[in-house]
Amino acid sequence: MDLPGWQAIYERLKDKNFEIVSVAQDTNGVKDAGPWITAARPTYTALIDEKHLVSKLYNMVNVPTGAWIDEHGKIVRPNEVAFVDDRFKNFSGLDSAPYLNALTDWVEKGDKSSYVMSEDRLREKLTVNNSDIALAAAEFGLGEHLYKSGHLTEAIPHFKEAQRLNPKSWNYKRQAYALSDAKRDYGTTFMDEVQKAGGSRVYYSPPDLRPEVTQKDKKP
Amino acid sequence: MSWKRVTAFFCLFPSMAGVSAWGRQSHATIIYDDRASEIRSVNEEAGRLWITTDDLKRATGFELKPQGICRDELCFPVPKSRQQEFRHESAGKIWLNLVAFANLVQQPIAHDESLSIWYFGLRADQRQVLSSLKAPDFTLPDMSGKTHSLSDFRGRKVLLVTWASW
Repeated sequence: MDLPGWQAIYERLKDKNFEIVSVAQDTNGVKDAGPWITAARPTYTALIDEKHLVSKLYNMVNVPTGAWIDEHGKIVRPNEVAFVDDRFKNFSGLDSAPYLNALTDWVEKGDKSSYVMSEDRLREKLTVNNSDIALAAAEFGLGEHLYKSGHLTEAIPHFKEAQRLNPKSWNYKRQAYALSDAKRDYGTTFMDEVQKAGGSRVYYSPPDLRPEVTQKDKKP
Repeated sequence: MSWKRVTAFFCLFPSMAGVSAWGRQSHATIIYDDRASEIRSVNEEAGRLWITTDDLKRATGFELKPQGICRDELCFPVPKSRQQEFRHESAGKIWLNLVAFANLVQQPIAHDESLSIWYFGLRADQRQVLSSLKAPDFTLPDMSGKTHSLSDFRGRKVLLVTWASW
């Protein structure tokens, strides 16, 4: 799990006016996420999000997803894959170092970091929360409520509808599969879906770490 | 046509009474802002969900006011020409059609008919926070149950990062 890795980063950066807010997207809350948190004993802020509220508010579609928020509560880098180490490098083909270096650069330099995105680029990258995405979140929320009240059979059609309406959301697939027998209830598995999507090397889009070109760097 | 006349009309034709919501009250669960409330008496009819203003307050925090449907600073005026879609008086109570309100504020609804559960999602005003580039605020518990809000960390840089056990 990512929690011990973030603790090491936190130890290094916490005196630089920086906080890590890690949020567990787990329908079963403390029951599923708790043991990992207990084992990692993080001193940063580790929250439990049974309703996947953060994914819903920020339009996040996978884990781990990171967003950078400045001192004024403004997003300066939107959702992107946030690996804290290379445990999944064989799967994803992605190195964690460039992202972690960029994070350190931002914590140290703030607005002057070249990894802070311009508003135009931010707007381009933020997923538009259209009505299908919003309805998908509602279907997923209803599915979660049904599951938790002991109605898994009734929950499945709503989880499926969420997956159909927001096909980009791996969270809707993986969380639903984890709550039942994926093969029996969804006729598929996580790895089957990864293959269908083009394989594990395209499962995560790499973070876009091109430095922001500032006005003074631009050629006339 | 007034609501009283509609009710009287259906009382004269009992076989059609089922078409009208009034007099056929049932139980429903309403999930609003991710909080579930049991409502003992709702009127469901094709594409409508009527609840009393008391239940509206309890389940959603919203109230019917002269200026519209309001909660704290938030107020959504009801179009004058469409009052009948939203508001109805029956059995000495005022009822509001929560589906019409959801449509007005562009709020998605997921519905489980067999168990009569209605889930109301994020309104357009909640979803549009992102396009302002302001980080949407939230309040969630840690392991010990203590709650933390993102806005508690204003003045510091924050890496917001998700993970999951699955």
